[in-house]
Amino acid sequence: MQLMLGWWAAVFAISATVAASVRFMFPNVLYEPSLRMKAQRPDDYPDGATFFPEHRFFLMKNGKQFRAVSATCTHLGCTVNRIADGSGFRCPCHGSVFDASGAVTSGPAPKALAWYPVTLSRDERLVIDMTRQVSPEEQLVV
Amino acid sequence: MLTRTWRKFCSSRIGRSIFRVGLPGSDLERARVGVSSFLLHIQPVKVQSRSLKFRTTFGLGLILLYLFLILIVTGVLLMFYYVPSPELAYRSMKDLEFVVTAGMLLRNMHRWAAHLMVLGVVLHMCRVFYTGAYKPPREFNWVIGVVLFLLTLGLSFTGYLLPWDQLAFWAITVGANISSYAPFVGEKVRFVLLGGNVVGPSALLRFYVLHVVLLPAGMAFLVAIHLWRVRKDGGLARPAEPDLIEEEFAEFELPPEKTYGLMELARGSSAAVGTAQEDTVFSWPHLVFREILLLMLTVAGVLVLAIFWNAPLEEFANPAHPPNPAKAPWYFLGLQELVAHSAFWGGVVVPTLLLVALIMLPYIDTKPDGVGVWFSSQRKTAILIFSICLITMTVLTVIGSVFRGPNWDFTVPWHPNVEEH
Ligand code: FES
Repeated sequence: MQLMLGWWAAVFAISATVAASVRFMFPNVLYEPSLRMKAQRPDDYPDGATFFPEHRFFLMKNGKQFRAVSATCTHLGCTVNRIADGSGFRCPCHGSVFDASGAVTSGPAPKALAWYPVTLSRDERLVIDMTRQVSPEEQLVV
Repeated sequence: MLTRTWRKFCSSRIGRSIFRVGLPGSDLERARVGVSSFLLHIQPVKVQSRSLKFRTTFGLGLILLYLFLILIVTGVLLMFYYVPSPELAYRSMKDLEFVVTAGMLLRNMHRWAAHLMVLGVVLHMCRVFYTGAYKPPREFNWVIGVVLFLLTLGLSFTGYLLPWDQLAFWAITVGANISSYAPFVGEKVRFVLLGGNVVGPSALLRFYVLHVVLLPAGMAFLVAIHLWRVRKDGGLARPAEPDLIEEEFAEFELPPEKTYGLMELARGSSAAVGTAQEDTVFSWPHLVFREILLLMLTVAGVLVLAIFWNAPLEEFANPAHPPNPAKAPWYFLGLQELVAHSAFWGGVVVPTLLLVALIMLPYIDTKPDGVGVWFSSQRKTAILIFSICLITMTVLTVIGSVFRGPNWDFTVPWHPNVEEH
C-alpha cells in the first residue's frame, strides 16, 4: 500500500515536471511584429498595391476603397509576388498562382490568400487587423 | 628512431605510469595493450580478419564517427565567434570569412563535413541493409541507427539556419511550414520549434541551442550505445560459420596431484565450444593501423573540399523577398519535390511511412538468410523493395536539386537562371 503510494508520487512528480517543461517551451509573449498594425492616413498611399514587407501583406487602394491581402503563400509560407499587370499573385517557391481575388488558380497551395479587415482609427489612420479574415469583397470606403 | 625513442620513454618511470604496456612486441603484450588502454579497450583484442577487409563495410561507420569528431572540433571553434542573434549572426559569418584567421577554412570544413555526414549516413544504412546486417540479434541497433539518421538530419537542419542569410531563412521557413501540415499537432510543433509564428530571433536562438547542445549530446550518447552494441553483438555481422568437423582427441590422464572444484555454473556452452577455429587477428596493429589511416584520409578529404570550395553565404535574410526558387537543404529536396505536388502527402504521409518502414524493417524481415553477404540472392524481395524506395528518393532529390528553376518550373542545370522579381 505504502509502496503503491510511493510509485504514484513518483509518477506524479515526473509527469508534472515533464508537463511544466513542455509548457515552458511555449513562449507567452512574442517579440514579433504585432498582428494589428496601424498604417498611415488613407491619402498617403498611391492607387494600386503597396507592399508592407515587415507584416507581409499588400494594401490595395482603388480610389476611395481599401482592402488588404496577405502576401504569405498558403503552401509553405513564402512571400508571393504581385504579377506586374495586377492580374494576381505568383509564389516563387513552388509556383503557386493566385488570381486577383486571392483564389488559387494553379500550383500546390491548398487555400486562397487571406484578406484582412481594414478599418479607420480615430485619428484617421488605416488599421489592418491580421488576426481576422474577411471575404475579398469586403472593403473600407473613406 | 622514433620507435626507439618511444620505447625508451615507455619504459621510463613516467612512461610506464601513463601507458602501462608501451609498444607491444609479443602477442601477450598485444592482448594486454588492448585491455589496459582506455581508448583501445573500446575495441576487442582480436577481430575477424573478414571485418578488416575494406569491401566488407567500406569503412563507412568509422568515417561517420570521424566526421562527427571533425564537426565537434570545428563547431566548438566556430562558437568562439558566433553570436545567435539575427544581425550579429550574419556579421559573425562575414567576420569568419574576412577577418578571422582560418575562419573561412573552419566554416568550410564544418559545412562540408556536415553534408558528407548526411550522405555517409545514407550510404552506411545502405551497406547495413544490403549485407543483411540488421538481422537478429542486431535489430535494435538498426533502430538506434535510424534515430541517429534523424539526429543527423536534425543537426544539419538546425545548423542551416545559423548563418541567417537568404538561403538559411527560406530553407527553414519552408522546412518549418512542412511540419504544420501534420494533423492535429502540426501548428503547435511549428510554433514551439520556432518559438513564435515566424522565423525570427527566437527561432534562431532555439535552433542554436538544439544545434550546439541538445542534438549533439543525444548523438554522442546514442553513438556510444550504437558502438557498444556492435561489440556486444559479436562485431560485424558475418555469415554463419561452417559446421565444426569433430576432431579426435587423445585420452589423457588427469595428473593426480591436481585438484578440481566447481567454480561457477553458466548457461549454454562456453564461447569456444561448437565453433570452428576463428580467423582472427590482433586489433593491435591490424585494426588500429587501419583506423588511423582512415582518420587521416577523412580529415584530408574534408580539408581538400574546404580549401577548394567555399561554403555558400548569400545576402542577409530578407523576409519580404524569397529567392526564386526557394529550396530546402538538398537532403530534403526529395521531400520538397513531393511537397510541390501536395504538401500533405510529401510533407507528412510519405516521410512518416518511410520512417515507420525503416524502423519496422528488422522486425518484419527476421529470416537469418544472407547475413554478412552483399546482395544475397536469398533476400530478393527485401532488396527489390529497398532499392525501389532508395532510387525513387534519389531521383526526386536530384530533380529537386538541379532540375528545378525559378517558380519551381522544370529546367536543365545548364540553363542560365534569370531571377525575376
Ligand atoms: S510556398 Fe508558395 S508555392 Fe510553395
